[in-house]
Amino acid sequence: MRQERADIVIIGGGGAGLRAAIAAAEADPSLDIALVSKVYPMRSHTVAAEGGCAGVVQDHDSLAHHFDDTVSGGDWLCDQDVVDYFVRHATEENLRLEHWGCPWSRRPDGRVNVRAFGGMKIERTWFAADKTGFHILHTLFQTSLKFPSIRRYDELFCTDLLVADGQCGGVQGIHMATGETVALLAPAVIIATGGAARVYRYNTNGGIVTGDGMAMAYRQGVPLRDMEFVQYHPTGLPGSGILITEAARGEGGVLTNSEGYRYLQDYGLGPETPLGAPQNKTMELGPRDKVSQAFWHESQAGRTLSSPRGEAVNLDLRHLGEARINERLPFIRELARTYIDVDPVHEAIPVRPTAHYTMGGIQTDGRTATVMPGLFAVGECASVGLHGANRLGSNSLAELSVFGRVAGEEAAALARSGSTPPEAALLGEARDNAARWEALRGARGTERLADLRNAMAEAMEEGVGIQRMPGAMEKTAATLRELRERYGHLRLEDDSLAFNTEWLSAIELGFLLDVAQAMTAAALARRESRGSHQRPEDYPTRDDAGYLKHSLAHYRRADAPEVAWQDVNITRSRPGERLYGGAARAKADADAKEEAEP
Amino acid sequence: MSDSIAIYVARYRPGQDEAPTEQRYDVPLSTDLSVLEALNYIKDELDPTLAYRWSCRMAICGSCGVMIDGEPRLGCKTFLREFADRGELHLRALDNFPVERDLIADVERFMDHLETVKPWTVHNSERPVSEGEYRQTPAELERYQQFSQCINCGLCYAACPQFGRDDSFLGPAALTLALRYNLDSRDDGSAGRMAALNADEGVWRCTFVGYCSEVCPKDVDPAQAVNRGKVASTINYGLNLLRLARGEHDT
Amino acid sequence: MTRKPYRAPQRWSWWLKNPAYRRYLLREATALPLFIYALVLVTGLYRYTQGQLAFTRWLEALQAPGWLVFHAVAVAACVLHAATWIELVPKLLVVPGISGRSIKRGHQVAALIGSALVLGAALVSWPLAGGAS
Repeated sequence: MRQERADIVIIGGGGAGLRAAIAAAEADPSLDIALVSKVYPMRSHTVAAEGGCAGVVQDHDSLAHHFDDTVSGGDWLCDQDVVDYFVRHATEENLRLEHWGCPWSRRPDGRVNVRAFGGMKIERTWFAADKTGFHILHTLFQTSLKFPSIRRYDELFCTDLLVADGQCGGVQGIHMATGETVALLAPAVIIATGGAARVYRYNTNGGIVTGDGMAMAYRQGVPLRDMEFVQYHPTGLPGSGILITEAARGEGGVLTNSEGYRYLQDYGLGPETPLGAPQNKTMELGPRDKVSQAFWHESQAGRTLSSPRGEAVNLDLRHLGEARINERLPFIRELARTYIDVDPVHEAIPVRPTAHYTMGGIQTDGRTATVMPGLFAVGECASVGLHGANRLGSNSLAELSVFGRVAGEEAAALARSGSTPPEAALLGEARDNAARWEALRGARGTERLADLRNAMAEAMEEGVGIQRMPGAMEKTAATLRELRERYGHLRLEDDSLAFNTEWLSAIELGFLLDVAQAMTAAALARRESRGSHQRPEDYPTRDDAGYLKHSLAHYRRADAPEVAWQDVNITRSRPGERLYGGAARAKADADAKEEAEP
Repeated sequence: MSDSIAIYVARYRPGQDEAPTEQRYDVPLSTDLSVLEALNYIKDELDPTLAYRWSCRMAICGSCGVMIDGEPRLGCKTFLREFADRGELHLRALDNFPVERDLIADVERFMDHLETVKPWTVHNSERPVSEGEYRQTPAELERYQQFSQCINCGLCYAACPQFGRDDSFLGPAALTLALRYNLDSRDDGSAGRMAALNADEGVWRCTFVGYCSEVCPKDVDPAQAVNRGKVASTINYGLNLLRLARGEHDT
Repeated sequence: MTRKPYRAPQRWSWWLKNPAYRRYLLREATALPLFIYALVLVTGLYRYTQGQLAFTRWLEALQAPGWLVFHAVAVAACVLHAATWIELVPKLLVVPGISGRSIKRGHQVAALIGSALVLGAALVSWPLAGGAS
């Protein structure tokens, strides 16, 4: 076992991890920062974000508007002090990326351009064509190279947090090229490992998005918060789930069903807007939960198209014209042509909702600290309290920078003053863990890895999908319990050490199963419908009296997770009705009138 | 179209094999199956010991570059239907890199080269964020936009015989990245990157084979970038001569 | 637990494996006939200084079938080299105002047609203007 030391260990080299590393390096150049990732940082899934990154910039926009959109978009389950901090810092972080070289798309006068996005009252989504995540990630990665104090551990696969006396003192992992165990001790650890949508069969996520950090923290007793809230992105390619950005609708794309009808007007998002004249928070620019749920109803009514790769509706961009598609959505055109042989200039793109984003994650406070001393979490793996029950598109890229910086600075402060728990205890734990993983490498049971993974993914789609039925949820919970049991009888064919990707996949499946159980338990416990969590059969409405609370899933080894509750921090926006389209405008007019004549 | 296709994969297991040897897998053929999906099928159904890299499935993360019938390509952006008539295809790890195992190449050299060209913006006078953005017109953006599309997949290195001959050559992607920053209107760091461009391992190692641009899955055209780097290097040399003649110091 | 990466040596035949490499080496190989052609021309110049007889003999010698074949090869090499040159050089040139990036195919074709027209006009007008008479 190799032992190494650092002042700060960051697990995950995506947007949040890189931003945290840079912040820590800037805060104190003398700190030794270890940036650990199971892939090269620019492979991280931030790379696949397309549409944009929020930040108030227009004169007629305001931080209050961004706050209101985020809080109502999240169905009032957001911590409002956190949202306040976020909207106040998003723009400066976008500007910092600009100074670092991010190629934001521009207006003719050279100022940064913004586009419309779902659930946003005013255009405030910064974009770099339709590869915003790609450009942000590469900008951050390249910028990180100028800091000699950031030491990268590429392709080091983290398996466990090292904890002693209730305090986090490092992390351990497997060096993928050699299979060697590495124990990396540090007084401050930041988890920035991204989401877990690979628990679903159809998802927009890369193969690496397996909830590793969530599960590592969860197993050490740190609760996972709001895990029942999983975002289905309304427009993925059927079959593969490849993401077709919301910017396609922000630029004016429309959704039609098998009858050619713009069905969103039937789901509280109308009235229908003219082609080529999208209106904010209306029709196709509704929030993702509502747009995805509308697809489910259309499917029930038999008004979806059948494509060779499954049910779909049409995303029609033809009226935008070739020039605008090439300028604003070149990647979408490339993806549609490559993966389904459709040129959006001439044909509509068949799309369907696919699992996309975990709103929940490792519980943290507004400064990214978890309940465990020494441990921070940031980005999609964390639940800082920003997204509530439904995330607005383009808030998550901004979250990476805003809270990535916070995490880096907080960890730097702790690393300067903090102490590591007793080293002997940490290393003892690491040796025990390593023995367990060694045993898994030699697992000679009867269960095939792929079978378990597929069964989990199917069960999650069935029970914890867009609409959640009580029977199906119970069945999923039972299936997951059974899969956990079968996981103990895995059979691995590969017992080698160098790049044993079967072994690593088996470890990932363990992470996925734990996260899936937390999601299911929280979904069962929340007996209401809110945001992305819909129970149309047994609890079809929101219940603020009972559930204006964060769920906290606690790990209970072989038993089902225990779900506790935490109050939501509400500062100035009392829970109200989520209004979109014409209804929202009518309400705004009425409010304005009331204000004018008190 | 036959209902299955033979995929020959060059296997290399360090400590076990002296050199890569091909192993045959028969994979059911469907028109929209990518080479990456075929590998996933092999891993799940036929042979869990096969090792390869992958993640995004949508040609943006740059993980899954392999040699497909002798050409460097992304597994996720290459489809089996292309090989259906021949009924077989051959895969091996990216050329010009050491093979770690099976289809996994050791790309450390490439990562080092990226760092060598100082790929970050340098500002002569640091402007606080509170003063807003650096203005950049769409025309100024377009000057470097194409060169900022590189996904670091390494295909161009597998295509470059000069890198194959001597991997100290900085190579197509790293030199493109240098030009990307040099052309960015917000950047003042060109002078700092010239040393790398002018060096033995820099642009002059390139003999304009041009294959790098052919294989680039993102149409970045690294050959153009590298050879524009030669123009820049020449001008830089001339200016330095002039300065020397005037008794100034070299830059 | 050390790594044992496999390094494939680059063989002399590397360029045979791929059409792109063969095209590249063919382009580089055009230098050879052009070099020989240059030697032939220099020889001719030298013969010229030796008097008319020497020069005439040199001209006659060039009419041997082998030399005719060589000249055909040299012309082909010259055309190929010119074609690849025209193909590659525009990648290096950025003409401000014409395009944001570099010269495109259309500019090349326009330039070629323009040059041909100018050359044609010159050839036609030279005899008209009295030419070499």
